[in-house]
Amino acid sequence: MKMITTDVAIVGGGAAGCYAALNLHRNGVQSLIVCKGLVGKSGASLFAGNLVLSGHLLGNTDDNARNTAEFLIKYHNQFLIDQNWARRCGQWIENIYYPELEEAGLYFRRDDAGQVVTSPGKIRSVAANVQGNSGVPFMDLRRKQVIKAGIPRFEETVATALLRKLDGTVGGVFCLDIMTGETIVVAARAVILATGYSDRLHTRSTGTREMSADGIALAWRVGATLINLEMQWWHTNDIAHPPSWQRMQVYPNPMLGSEKSARMINAAGEEFFNQQQDDPLAFGPYTVQLKALAKQVRAGKARYDGGYYAGFDHCDPAEVDAYTTYGKAYRQLGLHFPEQLVETAVTSHYRQGGIDVDTETMRSSVPGLYVAGGLAGHSNGLIALATYDGKVVAEGVMRDLSTLAAAPLVGQDVELESSRLDELRNSSGEGPAPIKVKERVRALMWNKVGVEKSEAGMRSALDEIEQIRVDLLPGMRMANRGKLANYEWLDAIDVVNMIDTCELIIHSSLERKESRGPFFRQDYPLTDNENWLVANVLKKSGNGVRFERRKYDLPFFRPDFVTKDNLEVVW
Amino acid sequence: MVTAATAPTPTAMDARRLGQIERRDTLAARNSCLAPGEDIAVRIRRWDEATRQAAYQDFKVPYQKWMRVLDVLNWIAENEATDLAYRWFCGSKMCGTCAVRINGREVLACWEAAEPVMTIEPLRNLPVIRDLVVDRAPYEKKIASFEPWIERREPYPSFPEPLNHKQMKDASKALDCISCMCCYSTCPVIGLGNLTDFAGPAPLVQLAQTALDPRNDPDKIKRSLALTGIFHCVSCYKCEEVCPASIPIVGRIIEPLKAKAVLLNPGMAKHSSALRDIVAARGWVEPSALVLRVQGLRVLARMPRAIRLLVRGKINPLKTLFGIRTAAAEAARRILRTGVAK
Amino acid sequence: MKFAYYPGCSARSTCAELNAATHLVAAKLGLELLQLESATCTGARELRAIDPPGFLTLNVRILALAESHGLPLMTICNTCTLNVLDAHAAFASDRELAAAINVKLAEEGLHYSGRTRISHFLWVLHENIGEQRLRELVVNPLTNMTIAAFYGCHITRPPSQYGFVDSRNNIALEKLAEVLGCQPIDYSGRNECCGFHTAAHDERVAIKLTGQHIQAAKTGGAQAMVTPCPLCHTILDGFQREIEKDVGHKLGMPILHLPQLVGLALGLSPDELNVDRHMVPVGALKAYAANAPKEPHR
Repeated sequence: MKMITTDVAIVGGGAAGCYAALNLHRNGVQSLIVCKGLVGKSGASLFAGNLVLSGHLLGNTDDNARNTAEFLIKYHNQFLIDQNWARRCGQWIENIYYPELEEAGLYFRRDDAGQVVTSPGKIRSVAANVQGNSGVPFMDLRRKQVIKAGIPRFEETVATALLRKLDGTVGGVFCLDIMTGETIVVAARAVILATGYSDRLHTRSTGTREMSADGIALAWRVGATLINLEMQWWHTNDIAHPPSWQRMQVYPNPMLGSEKSARMINAAGEEFFNQQQDDPLAFGPYTVQLKALAKQVRAGKARYDGGYYAGFDHCDPAEVDAYTTYGKAYRQLGLHFPEQLVETAVTSHYRQGGIDVDTETMRSSVPGLYVAGGLAGHSNGLIALATYDGKVVAEGVMRDLSTLAAAPLVGQDVELESSRLDELRNSSGEGPAPIKVKERVRALMWNKVGVEKSEAGMRSALDEIEQIRVDLLPGMRMANRGKLANYEWLDAIDVVNMIDTCELIIHSSLERKESRGPFFRQDYPLTDNENWLVANVLKKSGNGVRFERRKYDLPFFRPDFVTKDNLEVVW
Repeated sequence: MVTAATAPTPTAMDARRLGQIERRDTLAARNSCLAPGEDIAVRIRRWDEATRQAAYQDFKVPYQKWMRVLDVLNWIAENEATDLAYRWFCGSKMCGTCAVRINGREVLACWEAAEPVMTIEPLRNLPVIRDLVVDRAPYEKKIASFEPWIERREPYPSFPEPLNHKQMKDASKALDCISCMCCYSTCPVIGLGNLTDFAGPAPLVQLAQTALDPRNDPDKIKRSLALTGIFHCVSCYKCEEVCPASIPIVGRIIEPLKAKAVLLNPGMAKHSSALRDIVAARGWVEPSALVLRVQGLRVLARMPRAIRLLVRGKINPLKTLFGIRTAAAEAARRILRTGVAK
Repeated sequence: MKFAYYPGCSARSTCAELNAATHLVAAKLGLELLQLESATCTGARELRAIDPPGFLTLNVRILALAESHGLPLMTICNTCTLNVLDAHAAFASDRELAAAINVKLAEEGLHYSGRTRISHFLWVLHENIGEQRLRELVVNPLTNMTIAAFYGCHITRPPSQYGFVDSRNNIALEKLAEVLGCQPIDYSGRNECCGFHTAAHDERVAIKLTGQHIQAAKTGGAQAMVTPCPLCHTILDGFQREIEKDVGHKLGMPILHLPQLVGLALGLSPDELNVDRHMVPVGALKAYAANAPKEPHR
């Protein structure tokens, strides 16, 4: 077991985590990054397709600026967002974010004449190098910045538990290096959780392999308040075959340098969605697409797991290839591009909810524990927002630093965690392998807690989870008890977090008795702005949970109805 | 495309691609050679630090529509060998961590169609941690040694800075790189280990992202280039063949970097300059002339071969030492000395 | 059939036997070759890296010379072939560049319209002669000659020129060898690299790489290797002594140029084909010659 001491331990190496580390470094505060994947090569940040222009950047008009703000508040967050935070964030993006990235060397795609290539329309965006791939150079730049700053990275290392100091505050992280099997205890004055938006809790999920809702589970175990866990996006246009391509999206966004976007066809060959016509802000918010699909599903002309198609057969291939990567998947399947379409299906995407934070400081409800980026429950969408959180959390931590003393950790907690992990590794049950249990959990979520939810389905899901906990978890069988690159062991650790988090998600889903945006309840089909324009706050209570509601301020945007059938609400 | 305006061809075949159809080498063929339910015969190389023995394990995997190599590995890990160690994160050609070899060929597991009979092994030229998982550290270390970030000579003006795509064309290709290390594995020069100080294709692509960026300080580029051993590239194009991002590594990365080295690090590039000078003077290259120019007195150490070559009539020192004025020489002198305005 | 013929640099000096053999075999095949006397070097690998415009102009000039005679172009060296192919592709895809090159060519009265078909001799055999005609012309089938084909990188990669997902699927040489009566073997070095292009300044890489391939061919039972590239031949044959020193034992693997292999099957003698100019004695192969005393099948 290795013991490391630092000022700030950051769990998560994505947009928020890296930026927090860089900000702390700039101010002389020591930090380290624990990343379950590889910094810059895992997580959701990698997948930023293009970068939205906010405010009056690059020729944005007042209308563009307003549309972008409206887009964020309504279409991405269904009003479940701190609008004042959003405004601060938008201003920072306009004034600092883009210039800073370009100064560091990020290449915002130009044409031969030197103009930055933008997508035209009500909301405008640019790309880093090429559309559909902006996250790759973006996160690679962060990776190199972190290397240049000399910030220690512990990669392919999973944080398995948050540790407390003797005074009860969170002051450490218990980690396992997956490649070597060695454990690392990090003692810090503050811990930042920045494990991201995505998870991999459904059979079809956009989360990358290592995601198992660890951030939510770890925070919950030390008593953090959570919000809006039931609110999550769904991709509507992800490729149906092969299974490993479940997160490969036929991007609906307007193409750079073009007036066109991808279109969607149902099983009867009818076009049912084309962003340029069917989407009020013409920028591909996922919810608008999902609702269009839901109507097709109800008409029997598509399913959520396939039976509908997407593509660019109405476009000139040169137009698509000029600035995007969108044609590559088709060609790799041996298809004629753009004439042939691919079958697509729904994939569970970002969890909008997460850990409840004070958006001015990014403090969670647990002293010593801070949260930044997608894991926090204060907003959804866009790499710029996660980056902004990285700045805010760094400042929040620095302001509190004098009150956060370096102190010894509770030794017993360290020992308990170490034993727990060893027990998992040495599981000698006759039951299923951990990967099988993982797939069971994902299947039950897909089938019973999918796009369209109902009370009966969700209660059944809770029963099934209990059954898994009681029957399957204790008897998991490990074929490999070694320490090196033991992914079975990792699966066993992960599945416990998955089950705990799924249970919380289902409870939250049962609690929100309405439909809102991508959250569809068959038993409560109306969007109810009178009772449910609130944060659905989840707190630990004894061995169970209890809920509170917290209203949102509406200083800039307000809904224009009280109740309405969710499928008829544009957002 | 070239029209066959002047060559009568008895057959319609394209001899350049002989074998592509017979061996089902095209993407269309590769995605349609199996029907759902048919068996894929897989053999996987298992390796463990504990036993330090390589063993091959066989599996039969039912084919699903458009299955990738990664889907095959996932099926095996879920159903047959839960202890199989292999790395992947995104499954969709963005993270670059799932590269392996199938039947000796480097591929990105999530991108490549499954083949009906496959032997799956880890990448070459990197230490194996377990089974198909390799240690990325040597590769990462090389990149870090280049200090792969730009250093501006002038202060950053404002957003958006003056820049056009023509200036960034090659760097932009380099930015498509996802560090999958397929090229690093297949490079035969890297395969020779410490014989040379060649950095390898992947590190060079990573370097090119900033070294071919016009905003970068030439002194910085010069320092990085000195560490690359770039003139050890044999131009075999194996890197281009395996690159899942289709980056023209030789033509758009290594050659532009070589061009920079000729300007910034002329000491590294003596033979390149020598060849250019010979062609510019004579119009063509007599190989021994090149060797003489480049190796100078060292050529005396090669006397035994030189004598053998001389005996066989393969070299003609008179021809070498005395240039001959020819039409070719005239043309080359004119074209290379004055160049083409671009 | 008439071709503009570009022999390249090596075939005029170190591998002069290749040029001679090509002329002889062409005659037997009914190919008329018009040698482009004023064509320059294509620039090997170095020129295209350090002087791209100069490289392109020299290569387009070669294509223009062929076009001025209204003939397709035949090459006998892999690197030359790839160079002119790449120059042609650049010319065809960039109008500004094409115009600039033509301005330069106009200084000597040349002009390129982009119409020259480029064929390596190996492709001419398959496309212009064809399997059926070749079989008719083979008077001395090389029965029982086990041969290892060494393609050389630049006739089979990059995929942007040749289209192979896996260049090991290129079977042009083996198909040809079968038509000539040989038994081609499969071995690990078939489509691998000889290392020629760094040999001028560091021959150790070439020696090590080529050593692996020759050894693999030997282990596979090859009596000889055949290559369509004189640069590969220079290492395979010219450096074999150094390779033997490096691997610590004798190899004695004869290396034939492609036209020499074809020539033997067409009835030309080893002497006519100048195999004695090679560094590695071709002695044992002389038994396959047309006028050699035939021994009972082994």
